[in-house]
Amino acid sequence: MASQQDSPPSRAGEPPGSAAGARSALRRVTDGPAAEWISTAARLGLAVVWAWAGLAKVSDPAVAAQAVRAYRLLPEGLVKPVGYGLPFLEIALAVLLVVGLGVRIAAVVSVLLLLTFIAGISSAWARGISIDCGCFGGGGAVDASQTEYLQEILRDIGFLLLALWLVFRPRTKLSADAWLAA
Amino acid sequence: MSEKNREGKRTARERMREDRAAQEARESRKKKMIVLGSVVAVLAVAAGVGVFVQNQRSKPDTPTASPAGAIGNKNLVIPDGPANAPSTLTVYEDPRCPACGQFERQFAPTVDQLQDQGKIYGNYHIVSFIDRHDGGKGSKNGANALACAQDAGYFRAYHDVLYRNQPDETVDSWKDKSQLITLAKQVPGLDSPTFESCVNSNKFGSWVSAVEQDFDKSGYTSTPTILLNGKPIYPKNGNDEITPDNLVKWVNEANAGKTLGTTGSASASPAPTSTAAETDPNQPAQPAPGATG
Repeated sequence: MASQQDSPPSRAGEPPGSAAGARSALRRVTDGPAAEWISTAARLGLAVVWAWAGLAKVSDPAVAAQAVRAYRLLPEGLVKPVGYGLPFLEIALAVLLVVGLGVRIAAVVSVLLLLTFIAGISSAWARGISIDCGCFGGGGAVDASQTEYLQEILRDIGFLLLALWLVFRPRTKLSADAWLAA
Repeated sequence: MSEKNREGKRTARERMREDRAAQEARESRKKKMIVLGSVVAVLAVAAGVGVFVQNQRSKPDTPTASPAGAIGNKNLVIPDGPANAPSTLTVYEDPRCPACGQFERQFAPTVDQLQDQGKIYGNYHIVSFIDRHDGGKGSKNGANALACAQDAGYFRAYHDVLYRNQPDETVDSWKDKSQLITLAKQVPGLDSPTFESCVNSNKFGSWVSAVEQDFDKSGYTSTPTILLNGKPIYPKNGNDEITPDNLVKWVNEANAGKTLGTTGSASASPAPTSTAAETDPNQPAQPAPGATG
């Protein structure tokens, strides 16, 4: 994992005065007290995304399994474990992010999941099969005219940026992490 | 001397400070590892619990009750027409699917005729995936009602009535089971307390779910999927568009030189035993209809 964020990143190697004005302004945003509020917003935003995605997939296990099967990537033996387990994993991520416990590791897991989703959607698109990503419930085969691969990928990239921010700036306000560190 | 002493003191103080710093770092690292461990554990347990819970909640893919006369692996297929017909027409349909309604309104007379002539053995898979796509219960209720009609021996007639009165895909009229019962009154002899309780109690719910799960795994992704002897012919067979005339032609080509199935039982869903009893003993071995897909 990258450097500890609990102490400000070391600038020992940086010759003093070399930072341009704009760059130091950016620094203030990404490292200053405002960063913790940005991270807090990102954390809660990502929590809402995971909660929404997970809850939408819980109600009907057969639908969740079919959404996974429709990608035609996993062997039949893994379709149900993934279809059944993934929504709960997403909800657990949401809970951890809301509480603010282990934000960095939750963000790392989020990044890995989102990269997997983006790869899966891209693969379906590249192979020319017509499916709904099943990202927020539903899923399975759809008419070729109803595929929305680009929107789905762009949306996931947006979520990926939130998660990446939290990987590098996991300190947030109102979090269990902050309470534990105090 | 005093210089040295001071230096010694400072190093001792520094060492203590370093020790304390090192210990704090260790503590903080330990705390971090505990958090990391708990987070990983929470995620793993959540996924594991999810698999377990959803396994308990998911309907089995083997039905607890199947309509009378259903055939194939796990009795998921509703047959129509003579089992010893030389060709099998496999139909995957969803009660709410508009393309299925279109297909049925255009082709039902031809298909019924081919069955009654002993040319094809209809194999119906009543799937219910539109409920997932559009939300609602109409597909599942409709599929259950069709199973109830099959159980009562009126599958074909009720099936044709349902598709003639199909609501728009986005209007989930059949979430109201009483509408399915009202439509049953158009089939003389079907509506009975038994049929109504079958529809209202969702008697074949586990069968409907099993048929859908079988379709999920079939690799076919849309309805109607129509197979003639296992080969897809909808919307096209090779380069030829399906039409009632083409369907008759294709069936006749497939049946060339083969003995036709038993005719005479024009009603839907003949019991397998009675069909066997009527079979001409001079006839060659029956084709194995089996459950395709």
